[in-house]
Amino acid sequence: MLKKRNAKDWLLDGFIYLFMIALAVMTLTPFLNLLAKSVSEEWAVVSGKVTILPIGFQLETLKFVVTSSNFTSSLGISALVTVIGTVMAILLTAVTAYPLSKPQIPGVSFILILFVFTMLFSGGIIPNYLLIRELNLLNHLGSLILPGMISVFNLLVMKSYFEGLPEALEESAKIDGARTFTILFRIILPISSPVIATISLFYAVGYWNDFFSAMLYISDPALKTLQIYLKDIVINADLAALGMSPDDMMNLPGEGVRAAAVIASTVPILCVYPFLQKYFVKGVLIGSVKG
Amino acid sequence: MLQRKWLSVLLSVALMLGLAACNTGGGQQGDTSTAPGQEANATKPKLKVLYPSQPEDYNTYPVAAVLEERTGYKVQYDMLPADNPQDKLNIVIASGEEYDAIAVRGTSADKALFADYAVRGALTDLTPLIDEYGPNIKKALSEVTLDALTIDGKIYGIGNRTMEFVGGGLLIRQDWLDQLGLPLPTTVDEFVYVLEQFQEKDPGGNGGQNIPFSILGTDPFPANISGAFGLTNAWNEVDGELLPRALAPTLEDYVAFMNDLFQRKLLDNDFVINKVANLKEKLTNGQAGVIPTTWAEVTPLVEAIKKNHPEAKLAFIPTLQGADGQMGLSAASGFDRITMIPKSAKHKEDIIKWIDAMLEEETFKLVVLGEEGKHYTYENEAYVPINPIFTDERNRANNFLIGLDEEKYPIYWQARVRKDPVMFEAYEFLNMKQPEEAAQRDALRLAPYLPEFSKNSQSLDTLSNDTMVNLIFGSTSAGSLESFRQRFNAEGGEATVQEVNDWYKTSGN
Repeated sequence: MLKKRNAKDWLLDGFIYLFMIALAVMTLTPFLNLLAKSVSEEWAVVSGKVTILPIGFQLETLKFVVTSSNFTSSLGISALVTVIGTVMAILLTAVTAYPLSKPQIPGVSFILILFVFTMLFSGGIIPNYLLIRELNLLNHLGSLILPGMISVFNLLVMKSYFEGLPEALEESAKIDGARTFTILFRIILPISSPVIATISLFYAVGYWNDFFSAMLYISDPALKTLQIYLKDIVINADLAALGMSPDDMMNLPGEGVRAAAVIASTVPILCVYPFLQKYFVKGVLIGSVKG
Repeated sequence: MLQRKWLSVLLSVALMLGLAACNTGGGQQGDTSTAPGQEANATKPKLKVLYPSQPEDYNTYPVAAVLEERTGYKVQYDMLPADNPQDKLNIVIASGEEYDAIAVRGTSADKALFADYAVRGALTDLTPLIDEYGPNIKKALSEVTLDALTIDGKIYGIGNRTMEFVGGGLLIRQDWLDQLGLPLPTTVDEFVYVLEQFQEKDPGGNGGQNIPFSILGTDPFPANISGAFGLTNAWNEVDGELLPRALAPTLEDYVAFMNDLFQRKLLDNDFVINKVANLKEKLTNGQAGVIPTTWAEVTPLVEAIKKNHPEAKLAFIPTLQGADGQMGLSAASGFDRITMIPKSAKHKEDIIKWIDAMLEEETFKLVVLGEEGKHYTYENEAYVPINPIFTDERNRANNFLIGLDEEKYPIYWQARVRKDPVMFEAYEFLNMKQPEEAAQRDALRLAPYLPEFSKNSQSLDTLSNDTMVNLIFGSTSAGSLESFRQRFNAEGGEATVQEVNDWYKTSGN
């Protein structure tokens, strides 16, 4: 199986590495630039001297942003929505995907078609808005959590993972007297950590980054999410000369503050990745079924 | 499951249909949610308003408490998003949300929406309400203000007029001038001479990086210079008629002039890609000699350039005179904010009473300036803010105001400019030390809703700006000025000019 690596292999590997490194540099540079701007002194930022290394290192700007009550309150809201939303979404997706992965149940394929239908067609913004309004969910965190609880795409991913699990596992549990819920929660879910980790990440990032529903359904400033806060801060400074009142112009946040706000809002969700990393790598099925 | 899915499909269809008829049906729902507030205070209900975005929460901002105490009304302040507020507003209005007042900014997009809502019957006619409950409103707002928001003889909005001051000018490296022994230029010819000297003598020691004059890629009509060619605003009066820049007779000279600067590299040859941030970079890192900017943005520039070049000094150029003595700096005009009361509002009388109470003389001063001795002092006939408390507690006061005491507010407002001495100096120079005829207001900003103008102005502006940039660049693909004008007229320019001037002649300006 082990073949000796020849020159062609080395060349190919070298090329792949170079390409990946170039890609990584390309995606990292803007981020590093923002990071550097957020810890540099304002004069250096204004005069465009900051590249990826900070000039005149200071943490005041970052501290100002992180300690401002607007930031902390919207961070709290976003964290709450993300945590509750992700847990609920995973739960709901799992209990929906499990029966759908059993083709022997009558009518499953039709229900599946109904789900897929919603992937292609939706009611549109205004019907959705009216629905949320009639449910009395305007200006309520429920409006941010409920509509996103089942993503059909994630549902399909989970369903096909469940389909790949060996039937024998369930049969053995059944012999031991386990019923459907026990099988799902004690057998299936524990060995599904890779797919759960992946989908949690999808859901978490989705909830965290969700801007549109917060913009639409939330008008109470006390319930502002982080993304809305960010948009308020970063709002296009190029418009300053045009449609802005003099007071807004005088109060325009500096570029350093804007960079710091972006950094402070990105870092929390970034921290989730390394924790989930380990689940992606592990193979879990090794040795669970013999013969 | 199946049933529920179908149910929701049916429901969405029903809701869509409901929307079509929602002007009549929207008012009844959701009563239960607002009822408790009414019980608590039978005479003064809790009001609900929707305001443009600001970073701080309106509800917890100190001004909210002051207003509640002075007017006796509890108010829930909701906020529109900063990004595309018009989209959300459309949904709010279409679904008949029960806001007692909705305030928008005074951009042309907002003005068009306002007029649209009024014409479609989504807004309350305020005329009888103001007559009955608004003595202070009547006293504070001028006839012009109310007229501008009157449609078909009915007042549909209360406007906060913009402070009519000059915002932008050309900022120059005073130390470069000093080094070369040159005075500040006062005519276009002197200005060009200064640029030539900046290029030849290179006082900044930039070598090949030297940029005598840089402008924004999005605005080929920089302040001051455009005024010297009679192109101060988007629309200017020519022989008693309002003409857009595209059709102004002086445009030809202007294009030739700018193209010449560009060819001789006196004008930044990369100006097309300049955004506000690039422009500021070029000035503060010592490359550029002159850039257009506003007094409100000047403080960080001064701080940044001092760090890079301690000897640097910045100054605004006085109003430049053109070949035939023309000059002009664009002065703001129009509205900062327009407040309307939707048909679906539940407390129409109370909201007017609340607005009226806000405009009561003492309350208004307390909201705008705060308490004497605590937030501000009165020295040499000027209001001077006491910081940091003024900034902490009154910086956003302007966002709370619905209607302005148009006599007092301009005086109070200067306190805001005085919170920063560098900024105030720049403001003072552009506004109080220029010839009186220099400041020119855009006549159209106070115009009522003009359908052709609303429909075309944005696309025409884009067309003009793009063509101008190409012409300054000397790009032949842009064609001649003549073919551009033909296209401009064909794409709605002619109809717009006609409509604008029909209004202009009757407006008595």
